[in-house]
Amino acid sequence: MKKKVIQKTRGLSRRDFMRTSAAVGAGVLALRTSRIYAAGSDTVRVGLIGCGGRGTHDTTKCLSSAENVELVAMGDLFKERVDRCRRTLQRNLREKIKVTEDTCFVGWDAYKQVLACDVDMVILTEPPHFRPGHLKAAIEAGKHVFMEKPVAVDPVGVRSVIASSELADEKKLTILAGTQMRRISHLVEGIKSIHDGAIGELVGGQCVRLGDGMLGWGANTRQRQPEWSDMEWHLRRWLFLTWLSGDFIVEMHVHNLDVMNWAFDGPPVQCVGMGGREVRTGPEYGNVYDHFAVEYEYPNGVRVEYMGAQIDGLSGRNDQRLVGTKGRAYTDFAGVVIEGQNEFEYAWDRVDPCIKQHADQIAAIREGKRLNEGRRIAESTLTSIMGRMSAYTGRALKWDWAMKASKLDLSPPKYEFSELPMRMKEVAIPGKTQLI
Amino acid sequence: MKAKANRKKQMLTRRDFIKTSAAVGAVAMASGTSRIFAAGSDKIRIGLIGCGGQGTRDVVSCVKSSPGVEIVAMGDLFENRLQQSLDKLRKEVPAAVKVAPEKRFVGFDAHKRVLQTDLHMVLLTAPPHWRAEHFGAAVEAGKHVFMEKPAGVDPKGIRSVIRAAELAQQKRLSVVAGTQRRHSKKYQETIRRIHDGQIGKIVAAQGYWNGGDMLGYWKWYDKDGLSDMEWQCRSWPWFTWTSGDHIVEQHVHNLDVINWALQAHPEQCIGMGGRAVRNLGNIYDHFAVEYEYPEGVRVSSMCRQINGCTDRVAERVVGTKGAADVDQGVINGERPFKYDGPDPDHYVREMADLVQSIRDGSPINEGKQVAESTMNAIMGRMSAYTGRALKWDWAMKASKLDLTPPKYEWGDLPMELEQIAVPGKTQLV
Repeated sequence: MKKKVIQKTRGLSRRDFMRTSAAVGAGVLALRTSRIYAAGSDTVRVGLIGCGGRGTHDTTKCLSSAENVELVAMGDLFKERVDRCRRTLQRNLREKIKVTEDTCFVGWDAYKQVLACDVDMVILTEPPHFRPGHLKAAIEAGKHVFMEKPVAVDPVGVRSVIASSELADEKKLTILAGTQMRRISHLVEGIKSIHDGAIGELVGGQCVRLGDGMLGWGANTRQRQPEWSDMEWHLRRWLFLTWLSGDFIVEMHVHNLDVMNWAFDGPPVQCVGMGGREVRTGPEYGNVYDHFAVEYEYPNGVRVEYMGAQIDGLSGRNDQRLVGTKGRAYTDFAGVVIEGQNEFEYAWDRVDPCIKQHADQIAAIREGKRLNEGRRIAESTLTSIMGRMSAYTGRALKWDWAMKASKLDLSPPKYEFSELPMRMKEVAIPGKTQLI
Repeated sequence: MKAKANRKKQMLTRRDFIKTSAAVGAVAMASGTSRIFAAGSDKIRIGLIGCGGQGTRDVVSCVKSSPGVEIVAMGDLFENRLQQSLDKLRKEVPAAVKVAPEKRFVGFDAHKRVLQTDLHMVLLTAPPHWRAEHFGAAVEAGKHVFMEKPAGVDPKGIRSVIRAAELAQQKRLSVVAGTQRRHSKKYQETIRRIHDGQIGKIVAAQGYWNGGDMLGYWKWYDKDGLSDMEWQCRSWPWFTWTSGDHIVEQHVHNLDVINWALQAHPEQCIGMGGRAVRNLGNIYDHFAVEYEYPEGVRVSSMCRQINGCTDRVAERVVGTKGAADVDQGVINGERPFKYDGPDPDHYVREMADLVQSIRDGSPINEGKQVAESTMNAIMGRMSAYTGRALKWDWAMKASKLDLTPPKYEWGDLPMELEQIAVPGKTQLV
C-alpha cells in the first residue's frame, strides 16, 4: 500500500521536476542546490518567510546554531511584521542580518520574491495554512527548508507536503521540521529505550495537554477594525481560525501527538474524537474549539487517549505516557521515567533543542547529508488533523481514508483582501458538520 | 424446576430463620426480613416509588422474574405518571397488580406513604436526585430494595447511600441496583476470566457510551406556565440536580463494569466536556475523562449524546497478556475466549437474583458498589464542569457539593440549579 503511494508521488515528482527545470532552468537549479559547495564558501544564506513571533524566534535560533549563517531576505504578508522582525533581529544578531530594503518583501507574493533571492535555505513560518504551498515553491526553487509545525491544516495539504518531501530527496535538499521535542535529549534516549523493549510491547498510552486559553494572544487585533476585510481580520487572528491554524490540536498539540507517533514508530490506524468550545466563544476567537478528546487506535488494536484543552483556570498538564507489557514510561519536558521491569530515569541534558535542530540541519547542508523530516511531520500533522476532523463531525475515521480519500481542502477561493465564504467562519457542529 | 427451587428455598429459609433470630433479634425480624415466612405466605409484596418508564419496566421484569410477586403500592410526584404506569402494568402483568386506590400516593412524601404500607420490597426508580433519600428511608423502614442506577447526583447523596447500605447489611436486607450488566452471564463469564488472570495484569481500560441525543426517550417539557420545580422535575433528565447529567445517569453502566473488572474504584480523575449541540436544560452533551486507578492504571471514559455521530457503547480491559472486549464477551491474546452461551435478559435476571435472595434469606447487597460507580461518574462530571483534577478521597470525604433545592415545593428554584457549568469558572465545591 505504502509502496504504491510512493510510486505515485515519485511519478508526480518527476513531472514536477521537468516542469521546474523548464521554468527555472537547469543552470539556476544547479547553482541553487550546490552553490555553497561550488563557491567554496561555507556561509549559509537564509531567507525568512513569515515574520511573526515564531519566525523571529526560529531565525534567532538558526543563526545562533552555527558559524557563518546569515539572514539575507525576509517576507511577510504585512509590512509592520517585516519591520518589527527586522528591528528585533538586527538588535540581537547584528552582523548576521544582511537584509536590505531590496530583500524585504511584503504581500501575497513575498514568499516567491524571497525564494528568487540568492538564498540556500528558507525558514517557513507563515501560518500553517500556507505551509504546503510555500514548501512546494521552496523545494521547486531548490532551497533547503526549515518549516515550523504543523505543516498543513487539511489532508490535501498533507499530501502536497509529502510530495514536496519526496521531491526534496530527489534534489538532495534537506527538510527540517520544528518539532524540537525530537531533539530533547531525554526523549531521544527514553524513546530509544522503548523501541529497544524497555517496557515490552506497547499496549496503551495517554497524551494530555491542558493549558490556558491563549486569550492574551494578539491583544491589539482582538477588536476588528472597520477597514479590515474578512481576510485581513482572519489573517491577523489566524490562531483562532481553523483554515489558517488547523485549530489548536493541530497547531500546538501536534508536538505531543508527534511524540506518540514517535513512540509507536508510525501513525495511528483510526480515531474517534469529541470536542467543542465552552469558554472561547466570542467572535474574536474565530471558529476553533477549546477542548478535544480523541482516542487513537494504533496497529494491533492499541488504544491511546489524547485530551487537549486551551481554557483558563484548568488543572494544567502536559505529558505523555506509554503503557507496555513490562512497564510504563512517563514523558514530559523534564524527563522520561521508565517504571517496571527496567526502571530508569532520563533527565534533560539542558541543551536547547531549538538550537540543536538547526545545528543538525546546517551541518547536514554543509556535509551534503540526507536530512528529511517532511513525511514524518506530515504524518504527525495528519494525526492531529484526523482527530480534529473526527471531533468536528462526530465521526470515527480511518488513517487510510484521511490520507488517500479525504477531499478536505480549507483554502479560500482567492488570496486577496476580501470577504470570505461562510464555511470559513462557521464553528463545526458534531453530527452536522460533514466528513469530507 | 419450580418445585426444586421451592424446596431449596424452604431449607435455606429455615436455616436462615435461626441465624437471623440470633443475629438481629426477634423484634426487628418480625417486622422486617422474615415476616413473609413467619406469615406462611411466599408472596413477595412490592411497592414502586417512581412511576416513570424505567420504574414500570422494572416492575414488569420483577414480576416476570419470579413467581408470586405482587405490586401493592405505588408512589410518584405526579398523578398522571402514576396512572400511566398503572395502566401499563395492568396491560402487561395484570395478575400481579394489586394496588388498591388508597395505596396510590402522589406528591413529595409519596415515598414515605408507600413505605408505610405492608410490603417486603420497594423499587426505587424516581429520578436520581431522590435516590439517596428514598434509599435511606426504605432501609430505615426495613424494606428490601431494588434501586435504579445511578445511586445519587452528588457526593453528599453518595455518602448517605453508603451509610444506608451498611445499615441494610446489619438488617440483613437485600439491595440490588439497576446496573444490570452485573447480572449478565456473558459479562460474568468474561469478568471471571479477567479476575482469574486470563489477560494478565490489567494495565488499562476504556469505557464508552457514545450515542444519540435521547430526545426520543427523555421527555422535555417547556417551562410554559409551570413552576420551576414542576418544569425541572418533569424534565428531570435534562437538569444536573435531578439526573446527575448523562455521564452519571447513563454512562455509570460502563464505569460500573470497569470498577467490577478492576475490582477497585479510581483514585483520581481529570475530565473535560461541554455542550456542542444540546440546548435544553443544563446538562452537557459530551464528556471525556481520564481515571487513574490504583497502581497508576489509567482508564479512559468517553460519553456523548449527539445525533449523527459514530456511536459506541462498550467496555474494554487491557492486560499484559491480552485484551477483553467485555461487552462482546471476547478475550484476545495469549488465551482467547468467546462467550457463546445463553445470555438471558439482564433486567429479569437481576430481579430473579434479588427475589431469590429474599426468599432464601441470604441477602445480597449491591448498595456500596453502585454508590461507588456513581461516585466515579460524579467525580468525572465535577472535573469536566470545573476543569479541575480531583481525587477520590477528597470527593468522597471533603466535597460539600449538594444539589438539593432549598425546599421541595411547587415554586421557584434558585438560578444556579439551571446554570450551565463553565470549565475554569465553575467552582469545585
